[in-house]
Amino acid sequence: MIDKYRQAFDEEARELLTGLESALLELDEKRDDGEVLGRAFRALHTIKGSGAMFGFDQIAGFAHNLEAVFDRLRGGQLSATSDLIALSLAAGDQIKFMLDEAAGNGAADPARTAGIVAELHRLTGMAEPAAAAAPPSPAASGSTAGPAADWRIRFRPGPDVLLNGTNPLLLIRELRQLGELGVTVDTAALPPLSQLDAERCYLAWDMVLRTAAGREAIRDVFIFVEDDCQLSIEPLAAQPAEPDATAGPAKPNAAEARGAAAAASSIRVSADKLDQLVNLVGELVAVQARLGETALRRDDPEILEISEAVERLTCALRENSMSIRMLPLRPTFERFRRLVHDLSVELHKEVELSIEGADTELDKTVIDQLNDPLVHLIRNSMDHGIETPDARRRAGKPPVGTIHLSAQHSGANVLIRVSDDGRGLDAEAVRARAVEKGLIAGSAPLSESEVLALILAPGFSTARQVTGVSGRGVGMDVVERSIEALRGSLEMASRPGAGLTVTLRLPLTLAIIDGLLVRVGEAYFVLPLANSLECVELTREDIRDAHGKHIANVRGDLVPYIRLAEYFGIQRAPPEREQIMVVETDHGHYGFVVDQVIGDHQTVIKSLGRLYRNVQLVSGATILGDGTVALILDPHRLVQNAIQTVGQASACRTISNRHFRSFKKENRIDGTQVKP
Amino acid sequence: MSKIILTVDDSASVRQMVKFTLSDAGYTVVEAIDGQDALAKLASPVNLVITDLNMPNLDGIGLIRGVRANAALKGIPILMLTTESQESRKREGKAAGATGWIVKPFTPQQILAVVKRVLG
Repeated sequence: MIDKYRQAFDEEARELLTGLESALLELDEKRDDGEVLGRAFRALHTIKGSGAMFGFDQIAGFAHNLEAVFDRLRGGQLSATSDLIALSLAAGDQIKFMLDEAAGNGAADPARTAGIVAELHRLTGMAEPAAAAAPPSPAASGSTAGPAADWRIRFRPGPDVLLNGTNPLLLIRELRQLGELGVTVDTAALPPLSQLDAERCYLAWDMVLRTAAGREAIRDVFIFVEDDCQLSIEPLAAQPAEPDATAGPAKPNAAEARGAAAAASSIRVSADKLDQLVNLVGELVAVQARLGETALRRDDPEILEISEAVERLTCALRENSMSIRMLPLRPTFERFRRLVHDLSVELHKEVELSIEGADTELDKTVIDQLNDPLVHLIRNSMDHGIETPDARRRAGKPPVGTIHLSAQHSGANVLIRVSDDGRGLDAEAVRARAVEKGLIAGSAPLSESEVLALILAPGFSTARQVTGVSGRGVGMDVVERSIEALRGSLEMASRPGAGLTVTLRLPLTLAIIDGLLVRVGEAYFVLPLANSLECVELTREDIRDAHGKHIANVRGDLVPYIRLAEYFGIQRAPPEREQIMVVETDHGHYGFVVDQVIGDHQTVIKSLGRLYRNVQLVSGATILGDGTVALILDPHRLVQNAIQTVGQASACRTISNRHFRSFKKENRIDGTQVKP
Repeated sequence: MSKIILTVDDSASVRQMVKFTLSDAGYTVVEAIDGQDALAKLASPVNLVITDLNMPNLDGIGLIRGVRANAALKGIPILMLTTESQESRKREGKAAGATGWIVKPFTPQQILAVVKRVLG
């Protein structure tokens, strides 16, 4: 039983530590900010309180020391120094180690714990505060049983006890559990009915209790009210009665610093259960599609109506269960503050991290796998991108570099950008390095974007030496591959001398999308609805007027199009009228020519299996109502690929990083070499 | 009908423990993450409030005052969770109108005993 709580505490404590860490880093910038101090204090307070409760006594004791310091900080008796903040960060890490130890991973060094506490006392000049040992609880403080004795209990509650939620009847019942009880009620103070205030207590009780329990146990029953009542507990043998307790006026404490840290109201559910739910919803969507299809074929209004109702519900259920899996990026982003802080120290660079759009939500699976690529990108920026303060001054830039981490929605995708204001990529250096590595011929004419694509080739680096930060055997190619595994894509934009921006485009979800079902000949395809703009007709006249160019005139705009039938080599008699689906891609508006647009389709994405892992144009498949398989097209990739194919036809050589991958295999470039 | 207890704490693990313990004993437990949340949840019937004192947005003392100022919630028992180092806070809570308190750390048995005392 307790293990369950310990697990919950472990998770919660780690969250709190992340919160503490970002509060501390914020504090570094805004010393003595009451709100930030309050947040740090509360995090420690909860770690201490809950830790002691679930048996993490060491953690509780350690956190207690820190809590005492932060209590004084927020009370203004101490001020935050950078030493104190650094020490608190280290202490937070130590709590993490202690949690790991409690979870059975590694061991926390007790000497280090003691060292931090000693240092804490040295810095603050505070004496060792009393340890947060488990105090006796009111319910536990009963004295040991002796021989049964008679006690006389006189109990006159204050007039307001009822308003404070006390029910004297319950107290008397509790006394009865201690032994044999005789009760006499004293109604002397009761006023005439017309003057009676039903919310006041006018009664008093005179009781005789025969019990083996001692005075403390009896008194304990009244512990909550003893300040607001007259109570006497006497052994019956001895008579002198004295009023036992009187109300002590309460002194208001120092004003509580209230933080605005918004904690989301939530319950914890294991990720497995969510996956299961989403899978079931996926199956339901597929069945619903079949029902819809059948209903249409039967043409029975009654079934059609039911089918439509089921469709509405399925749609709502789908969106709901999807949104359950969505988590904000903030915790992931906030963690990088620490990374940037630590790396700045290690690299002797001054770097600020700014975060934008951290409330953007993404599927949990995507977020989980996003951490490593982002760490790598930030390391890259810190190590290779941003210059030393001196170099920056010489380049006429402010000495403090900036890394900007942002997230935003774009259709069915989320764009995550990591940009820095460092030196950017040197296209010439990249080219020289690629020639040196034998990746391209010295004379190959390459566009700038093609040169940048070289960075993504395995085993490529422009850094001259391996540093402790980058060059850990993980290159940009690995980043790209892990993003691709999430059905996302990676783009780079370099401004030489002014910085580099890496954009990750990630799908909102990996399981179900809204799609548009289209038909070409006998083949069915799904286009993501979020990218689809409109559908226009393509007549034979339009084709004739374009003089053989694949361009359509859509209300005055020229939209290049791709004929899917040609592109995929589908043999069929061309219909009289074709449709162009205009979609939005990274390269602007493009049209896909299809035979027929069937309509929207809730698409459960099924992966194509290992054999088709390297197929780029198709992001998966789905099963239609009648059992037919439809391929889900990736419009960005499709257009990119088409552009490259056209480019290939005009230029003598085009680089795609795909080629490098096969090149790597053939030429056995050592994958463990210096990486970007 | 089982009695409804509102547990107010910004610590999910404490809420969870309170909830499991009291649910096992046959009470219905509603959770709130801070004082503000609790005040909102008190719009529906609740028989007992168990609140932490240190919380963001609206702390325990503020919640107790808020409840006692609300005529619709007259006489509802409120238990506060305190640590031993918070003697002055305990007095403050008592003055604000708390019915009783539970000292942290506590065991499931202890919390049940105290709940029985104020709720029957």
